[in-house]
Amino acid sequence: MLRNYNATVAKIMAIYGKRLTPQDYAELMNRQSVADAADYLKKNTHYSKLLSAVDTNTVHRGMLENLLHRSVFETYMRITGFENISKQEFYNYKIIQTEIDEIVRFIRCLNAGSDNFIKSVPMYVNNLTSVDLLELAKVKSFEELLIFLDKTPYKDVLKGVEPDVDGKVDVTRCETLFRTYFINMLRKSMHFKSADKKRLNDFLETDIDLINVINSYRLTAYFDEPEEVIEKDMLPFYGRLDAEKRHAIYSAESSEEFIRRFSKTFYGRQMIKNGYDINDLEQSAMKLRHKYAKSMLRSSASAPLSVYAFIFLLETEVRNIISIIEGIRYGVEASKIAPLIIM
Amino acid sequence: MSIEKMELVNITGPAAELDSVLVKLSGCGCFHMEQASKIAGKKSVHAAPKEDNPYTAPLRQLSELAAKSGVKLGWADYSDIKSMSALELEQYISESKNTVDELIAEEKQAGEQLSVHEQALYQVDHLQGVTEDFSRIFHCEYIKVRLGKLPAESFEKLSYYDDKPFFFMQFSEDKEYYWGMYFVPSAYQEEIDDIFDGLYFERTHIPDFVRGDSKEASEELRKMVEEDKKKADDCRKKLETLMSQKSEKLNKLFSFLKTQHDNFELRSNAVISDGKFHVVGFVPKNNSDAFKALFENMENVSAEMQPADPKGKLSPPIKLKNGWFSRPFSLFVEMYGLPSYNCMNPTSLVAVTYSLLFGIMFGDFGQGIVMAIFGALMGKYKKWSMGPIIARVGVFGAIFGLLYGSVFGFEELLDPVYEKLGISFLPLKIMENVPFILIGTIALGVLLIIISILINIFIGIKNKEYAEALFGNNGIAGLVFFGSILGGLVGTVMGAKVFSVPYVLLLIVLPLIMMFMREPLGCWVRGKKYKPEGGVGDFIASNFFEVFEFLLGYTSNTLSFVRVGGFALSHASMMLVVMALTKSMSGLGAPIMVVFGNVFVMGIEGLLVCIQTMRLEYYEMFSRFYSGDGVPFTPVKINYDETIE
Repeated sequence: MLRNYNATVAKIMAIYGKRLTPQDYAELMNRQSVADAADYLKKNTHYSKLLSAVDTNTVHRGMLENLLHRSVFETYMRITGFENISKQEFYNYKIIQTEIDEIVRFIRCLNAGSDNFIKSVPMYVNNLTSVDLLELAKVKSFEELLIFLDKTPYKDVLKGVEPDVDGKVDVTRCETLFRTYFINMLRKSMHFKSADKKRLNDFLETDIDLINVINSYRLTAYFDEPEEVIEKDMLPFYGRLDAEKRHAIYSAESSEEFIRRFSKTFYGRQMIKNGYDINDLEQSAMKLRHKYAKSMLRSSASAPLSVYAFIFLLETEVRNIISIIEGIRYGVEASKIAPLIIM
Repeated sequence: MSIEKMELVNITGPAAELDSVLVKLSGCGCFHMEQASKIAGKKSVHAAPKEDNPYTAPLRQLSELAAKSGVKLGWADYSDIKSMSALELEQYISESKNTVDELIAEEKQAGEQLSVHEQALYQVDHLQGVTEDFSRIFHCEYIKVRLGKLPAESFEKLSYYDDKPFFFMQFSEDKEYYWGMYFVPSAYQEEIDDIFDGLYFERTHIPDFVRGDSKEASEELRKMVEEDKKKADDCRKKLETLMSQKSEKLNKLFSFLKTQHDNFELRSNAVISDGKFHVVGFVPKNNSDAFKALFENMENVSAEMQPADPKGKLSPPIKLKNGWFSRPFSLFVEMYGLPSYNCMNPTSLVAVTYSLLFGIMFGDFGQGIVMAIFGALMGKYKKWSMGPIIARVGVFGAIFGLLYGSVFGFEELLDPVYEKLGISFLPLKIMENVPFILIGTIALGVLLIIISILINIFIGIKNKEYAEALFGNNGIAGLVFFGSILGGLVGTVMGAKVFSVPYVLLLIVLPLIMMFMREPLGCWVRGKKYKPEGGVGDFIASNFFEVFEFLLGYTSNTLSFVRVGGFALSHASMMLVVMALTKSMSGLGAPIMVVFGNVFVMGIEGLLVCIQTMRLEYYEMFSRFYSGDGVPFTPVKINYDETIE
């Protein structure tokens, strides 16, 4: 995989050039209804082709969100199919990620006794995943799930996870295990130039650090969990947050103390330097991740880095649109939606 | 070909007459206004009271009305509406706005009705499989029926609900949706509706007015859509007729209000002190008499004029004075930045050198003439600012084409003419005189660099900036050094022994030392004491590198002019290729090749030569004497192109 695939990189930059501008976001936020917002997307943005067959006056909000998610996946398929790089192991990551996300979502629905899982199953990916998501929806218990996943690598991932007396499993633990599997798989599939591999690894480690920070903050602030519990639910990797720094933040006794300690770490300093609100940790972490992805996309001429960063940025854009649609739906003022937008 | 001389004008008068004075100033077209407070000194002054502009609100209302009704506002003679009172003005605008709003609302309503019917038609068209009367379907007692569309993705998920009591009947499908209806027993209606809602089923509410089966309903709806379209169209026409009747008066109102508004805005530049206003600005000297005459009838208003002082508190604005030939080239000068008031106007120099360099590089009689005609036409009919420049440089290209004997790439066409005239040294075949062309263009470059240095010396002495004029790399020291090196080299090539010890010491080493010591020497000339900022060590190091850079600059700037010869050769070579290709063709192909080749070379070479010449002008010449820090002369006027948002 030492070929450069410059055409793929150029294609990505061309698509990235059509991303939503601050002006587009401002226009969207000022729309009075979801239909208006959908109409704006259809008439003025790169989503026009996606929404061409949709009647924006009547489109269901859920359908609109589903279409936006589908557009990310279709773009991913388009760019990896452009020079046929999709046959390389690394470029399967998005399919595996989607599959894992769906299994975790299924476990969550199973725990809640809800049959809503089927409604949001992304059928556009079903013929590419190693598990049939439609069949997965029919599974009724965790034991059945293990049998269902028998011939897949996910059975080993869930080894050791036991349901409690009510038949419920620890979803956070499952999520950590699946993410760990995903990261290991991704690292093993990086058969490209060592400089690119290092750059992507750095990006992944930053991502992992920030995910761990967000999760540990939630556990501290909302569940008041002790360090041992937090440590157990974290991803077993780290980048710039060494053991000492992790111990410092995980052992914080309150959310304020957590923020104070975190502000002294590299990421905390970066957030302050970039003018992000460190007290709104989750949003600031997302902004930082977005900033690093943008930097990686702009400074790299390597296909794997560009694909990974670009898809991340595209997902952020879709998340932004969904935040705006939610805001409009609940009549939130544009000035209150604006801080949620990551650019 | 210079910079227009300016007069500084100080107008004073009773504060009550400020507005009438401002009207005259904005109407005269030659007054460049400045903030009067800048030269008010320490006197007790305050700016004219900043009141809310009373014309903003009606003007905004008028702009809104124009935007809604599609009227483009612009200037119109408003003398006949001056007598309208402010109240009448506002009333007229308000009434017009209300009428327009009503018509727009009517049109919107018709549009909405149209949209409802179109939606219904669109939906019914997708249900062409329904042969039953809609009213019968919807009036079933124990079965509930829902018409609509299901996303294709959700359609695949229906198999998950096989055990649920409903069935979906599909009539048609497109890229994203399956159109159809589902039937559900009344008892399960809520549960099944929930499922379909989760599957993003978009229900179609067939309006009550739709009767019959899908075919009959479709026909009925089509008629309604046509009627709605006609209604909406009638509303639009009504609005257009109304606006065509009103547009003249609205433009008059706009012109009147905009004049008042912009004049009112000018008040913020004035100063009021002891019941008197002060307005300051510049007027070109040529217009000073006419300007003074503006206030002859205003007994209490005085306009004092004095020559503009570039070293005063206010920098005089720059208005370039150019002749017919050089005027279009002011575009290049303005792109770089306007000269300062005490500098020289370089437009004429640019016009001559640009045309000359372009001509040398683009020498072809036929192509030059075509380019000149193209430029002149584009300038005249399309108002393209580059047009007149292209016309002029095209003529120079044609002149050099005559010298080179080249007409549309035919290099021998003019040979008999010169033979008949008995001119033996012409035509100057480029490809046969390569060394002459290259050396000649370097010599031209040297000449242009020397001219630039001389201009810098002249400006420096005129502005009493002796350090730069005498000891700078673009001053006398630099000129002597550059000239001596070149003179020495030429002499040596010619066989003379030029580089004697006194020659080297006096004409090369001494100017170098002067350039090295230019700062202390400059202070000495001004009678000031010099103290190096970062100490002696820092002074030596920084000046050593600067002088080294000067030396490199002389070499690279001189050699930079080789490109002039290079592009002349490249132009000739490209045409040689075109001619070779033409010869290899027969029949109609040959003339087509000649035309296509010439167009191609003219396009690509024309563009390249334009850019390269501009580069030579800016980097090799302007950088030696020019500082583009002048302020453009912008007389105050009413802008009728701008509306108020």
